[in-house]
Amino acid sequence: MNAKGTRILETGTVVGLLGIVTTLVVFGRERFWVNWVVWLLFVLTAGLGCFFIVALEHLVGARWSVPLRRVPERLSSLVIVMAPAVLLGLLSLPHLYPWTKPESLQDPVVAGKAVWLNIPFFAVRAVLCVGLWLIAYRILVSGSFRQDREKDPRFNVRARRFSPVFMVIFALTITVLAFDWISSLEPTWYSDIFGVYLFAGTFLAGLSATTLALVYLMNRGKLQEVTPDHVYSLGGFLFAFTVFWSYIAFAQYLLMWYANLPEEVVWYQERLQGMWGPLVLILALFHFFLPFFILIPRDAKSDPKRLCVVAVLMLVSHWLDLYWMIFPAVGKSPLFGWPELSFALLFICGGLLWVRHAMTFGADMPVGDPLLQEGLEFHL
Amino acid sequence: MHKPAFSILGLFDSAQALMDAIPIVKCGMPAATIETYTPYPIHGIEKVLGRRRSPIAGMVLVMGVIGALAGLGFELWTSGWDYPLTTFGKPPWSWQAFVPIMFEVTVLFACFTAGLGMLFLLNRLPMFRHPMLRSKSMPHITRDKFALAVEAEGQPVDVDAITAVLKGVGAISVEVIEQPAPSGPISPNFVLRAFGAIVVSCAVAAGLTYWAIKLFPVSAPMSHMLDQPRLDPQREEGFFKDDFGMRLPVAGTVARGYLPYTIKNQDDAASLTNPLPGTASVMQQGRQLFNTYCSPCHGLLGNGQPTLTAAYGAKPANLVSQTIRDYPDGKIYHTIMAGKNAMPGYPAELTQDERWAVVHYVRALQRSQNAKDLDIPKEIK
Amino acid sequence: MKSEMTALPEILRNPAVIDGPISPGALDDQVLAHVYRKPQTVWFIAFVFSSLCMLLGFSMIGYTFYIGIGAWGNNIPVAWAFDIINFVFWVGIGHAGTLISAILLLFRARWRNAISRFAEAMTIFAVMCAGIFPLIHVGRPWLAFWLTPYPNQRGVWPNFRSPLMWDVFAVSTYFSVSLLFWYLGLVPDFASLRDRTVGKIRRAIYSLLSIGWRGSSSHWLHYEKAYVIIAGLATGLVLSVHSVVSFDFAVSLVPGWHMTIFPPYFVCGAIFAGFAMVVLVLVLTRSVMGLENLITRYHLDVMNRVILACSCLMGYAYVMEGFTAWYSMNESIHHTFRQYIFGSYWWTGWLTITCNVLIPQLLWSRRLRQKYSVMIFVAIGVTVGMWFERFVIIVSSLHQDYLPSAWHIYKPTIVDFGILLGSFGLFFTLVLLFARVLPVIATTEMKAVIPGAQPGHGGGAHA
Repeated sequence: MNAKGTRILETGTVVGLLGIVTTLVVFGRERFWVNWVVWLLFVLTAGLGCFFIVALEHLVGARWSVPLRRVPERLSSLVIVMAPAVLLGLLSLPHLYPWTKPESLQDPVVAGKAVWLNIPFFAVRAVLCVGLWLIAYRILVSGSFRQDREKDPRFNVRARRFSPVFMVIFALTITVLAFDWISSLEPTWYSDIFGVYLFAGTFLAGLSATTLALVYLMNRGKLQEVTPDHVYSLGGFLFAFTVFWSYIAFAQYLLMWYANLPEEVVWYQERLQGMWGPLVLILALFHFFLPFFILIPRDAKSDPKRLCVVAVLMLVSHWLDLYWMIFPAVGKSPLFGWPELSFALLFICGGLLWVRHAMTFGADMPVGDPLLQEGLEFHL
Repeated sequence: MHKPAFSILGLFDSAQALMDAIPIVKCGMPAATIETYTPYPIHGIEKVLGRRRSPIAGMVLVMGVIGALAGLGFELWTSGWDYPLTTFGKPPWSWQAFVPIMFEVTVLFACFTAGLGMLFLLNRLPMFRHPMLRSKSMPHITRDKFALAVEAEGQPVDVDAITAVLKGVGAISVEVIEQPAPSGPISPNFVLRAFGAIVVSCAVAAGLTYWAIKLFPVSAPMSHMLDQPRLDPQREEGFFKDDFGMRLPVAGTVARGYLPYTIKNQDDAASLTNPLPGTASVMQQGRQLFNTYCSPCHGLLGNGQPTLTAAYGAKPANLVSQTIRDYPDGKIYHTIMAGKNAMPGYPAELTQDERWAVVHYVRALQRSQNAKDLDIPKEIK
Repeated sequence: MKSEMTALPEILRNPAVIDGPISPGALDDQVLAHVYRKPQTVWFIAFVFSSLCMLLGFSMIGYTFYIGIGAWGNNIPVAWAFDIINFVFWVGIGHAGTLISAILLLFRARWRNAISRFAEAMTIFAVMCAGIFPLIHVGRPWLAFWLTPYPNQRGVWPNFRSPLMWDVFAVSTYFSVSLLFWYLGLVPDFASLRDRTVGKIRRAIYSLLSIGWRGSSSHWLHYEKAYVIIAGLATGLVLSVHSVVSFDFAVSLVPGWHMTIFPPYFVCGAIFAGFAMVVLVLVLTRSVMGLENLITRYHLDVMNRVILACSCLMGYAYVMEGFTAWYSMNESIHHTFRQYIFGSYWWTGWLTITCNVLIPQLLWSRRLRQKYSVMIFVAIGVTVGMWFERFVIIVSSLHQDYLPSAWHIYKPTIVDFGILLGSFGLFFTLVLLFARVLPVIATTEMKAVIPGAQPGHGGGAHA
């Protein structure tokens, strides 16, 4: 990236930082923390999604993705960057989450859950999640960078053996993330597909970030050996999981709409009333209809331009999804003002600055990986 | 030597040999139509042959969208417009509940378009008379050989030259496939047999339909719910000795609201008093009942001059005469209850209260037909 | 390049798709020979046994038609029992076939070609077995045509809002699309058979079935494209059909049924049970029919790893259900989940967890995974476990729901068991007939992945 771009991003980050401080002072703690949680989850899940891609590749021993693997590995460092943000986010609990307030215990439903929903246990879970992610990063991603120098095939064996363990860790931590940070905003509501729902959005966010980074690198002349066949496979995943996310989202909605139980429906009612209704339509449009119809043609799945459009749509709609799930906890209408803008500036510009830095980690392709040659020869 | 032929086929041992041969043959014979026959699809051969993309994806997309709209539209029409019903508390236009079937119908339309469209429209299969199917090379092709065919479709071609070209690019054998003789007009025998087949199948279909709709549903066990061990009205039933299914009520059965009336003659009834007050509503009721039940014989004014007298000969009493005016209420009540001479009693048609209301009205009639000056309202005088 | 590959640790190496060199002609001879020769004695014994079971099942069904659903153990409140358990069980088993033939095609997994024909056939037979149950469990099955939306003199339409109607459309779509997909794959193989057969009648039948297939480049062009498109659409079917089946339960208010995780949980369970059945059948078939070089140990290994992965996902689903049941703070749901473990049917709950989550963990060990005895043990365990899982979901939840006055124990009758046995008999009879009459391996697809089959790419990497 050229110097001008870097300067824009740095300015944006500084402005964002100042902006969020003024938010805290002017708009109050609740508004500050709700934005913090939304953006924290957005960047964290994008990183976790990339992390998942890496582990999945090791798990199934895929060959086609080996030349591309370095991209999601670099992006998964976002998880490391967000680790302190998660810990800072624990400060939001008394301001955002109703179950932290003593009067909530008067509701027997919330009181019964207090053994799970209390600040110490919540913090322990959050720290455990972060810790497990850091350990997994060290094994899977740092090990891959090390393999560039050492060219030791035993890393692949270690990664192959560790990836199922990572999958268990990932499943449980993403579920904890969803249940703790998002669904406990309304402690009387529950949905056991929620972990799967967040997983679907996470995976898509990871695929989209990977796609954008990949096209960015290819446009800069790197990764010349990546063929349209490789890109097609990535596009195919993007297409398939667009359908998967829509299926999970609709399944949850259909079941709650159909049974019409008051304790479940209230969550949707809050999120469909007033201006939230049109927002949901935009969400459906960006998260399903547009990407689906853009990616139907076979050519579209290997066309970097269209894939980038879809990837951007996907990231925007993943943010919209988190915004739509979390913000109704603090207000009846969608709020968009200086706080949202400044947080966006901080996290987008700061995130992109980190990503630019991460693109210097290791070689552009996992040159020490014995499977690289097979991967480069991949054809459909 | 030029000879009309369908095509000239060269067999190759491997896919690679075939792929290498195609550009050379195309170069050597730019005007010729070239087709390949292989036991399995060869990657990249469409490009080398210069074939256009298959249009099937577009067809599937269109039919898929039609399927989605048709499925959703049908559900919305049947459940929201044609016969809207609120089931499970869901409103008639509940699109959420219609999504699963819409999805399935979309997939159904799309898949069948892909499968059948590919077979029937694009590949024009079934086709049982293609000359290739009877060639000597075909068994080799479906087994393990690859064929390059220079197709002439009946035009005269230089067979030897083409054979030489094919042998030159590495064909292990060359076969000339003859143009099949044109099939003649359809024979009358065929028409007769086809017609016969249609008639027979229609008859069979009709028979099956008749059986399915008329005979099958009323045979066991389908008829088990129809043939129930119960007593049906107006049917012989062997359960009772007299073979009647319908029975009279048991002796001593009393209708609702029944009150016993034991008085036998008019004079004994004289002591009965009218329990109802003479209010306007009682009078209204009495008037309506009198007009319904009493006026056909006694007339609307109660003077024994109805429209029916000439018709049936009996002389109904003049209720507004002095005799009846002198009757106590009870005697009038008893006459309504038990009848007198030709008049039947009305114990079943009127309830006790209704009869007393009629008595009130009779009194009113009597007064009206024998009115005094005082009875006329001041405004009319 | 070759030396780099042999230097790879064993765990990373992908074995060749076919064991040992083979030519297309030899492949044809090996696989198609079974279509022509008389089957072995073991086939006859198996066929007689499964036919007897099937006939027993059909006679039990006939008996049920004659005297009514009272012949079964269904009561109020357990109005759904063996009938729906068997339905969900068989529909689930069908999903593995579509996953193997459709989803793995989209992933360009070459190893799928050896087992796709068999797996798809199993899908069709499983869906046929499944389709029997909704038909016979209604009191008047001869009126089942009322489910189709035809204009009638009652002026009424079927209730499209009911998940039972969604089932009708989903399962019938699934069956017809699977049948179409299977037939399309068979067309080139029928052409091979047509060209090998000498007998006139058999040749005429194969000619009819192969509808004049010639293998021209334009044929293959359209065929390949249509095949991939249907595979993509069938993938959507795999997700949607079992999700619609799960909606039968999840849209209701019965405690233990209304859990939003049901759709993906049922799909995962279906793939799980399906792969177990595929492994079970293929382990036997490949040795009896002498196809070990085509259906290799690698195939079995990958399928076992899929079973293991699904087992872990089922474990996750059970944990999520248990946790959310507690988290809901709903007394009825708490009661139902306590019943699963400690109630009248406690042993079914424990059997489910053991067979579905614990036993498949044996497959972590590479050594154990390669033993046939372990494979068969796990596969049978999973089949039993998945059947009992549906028992737990349906019977355990229903027999004690909201009103204690309505609680009632369920006891299956001999007719229930007879029909269940009959469904297995039908399935295996159809499988045995298929193995006798049709090529069990898609020879055309296999020929395309023999090393050297495609020009210019030689032995390059695939997926």
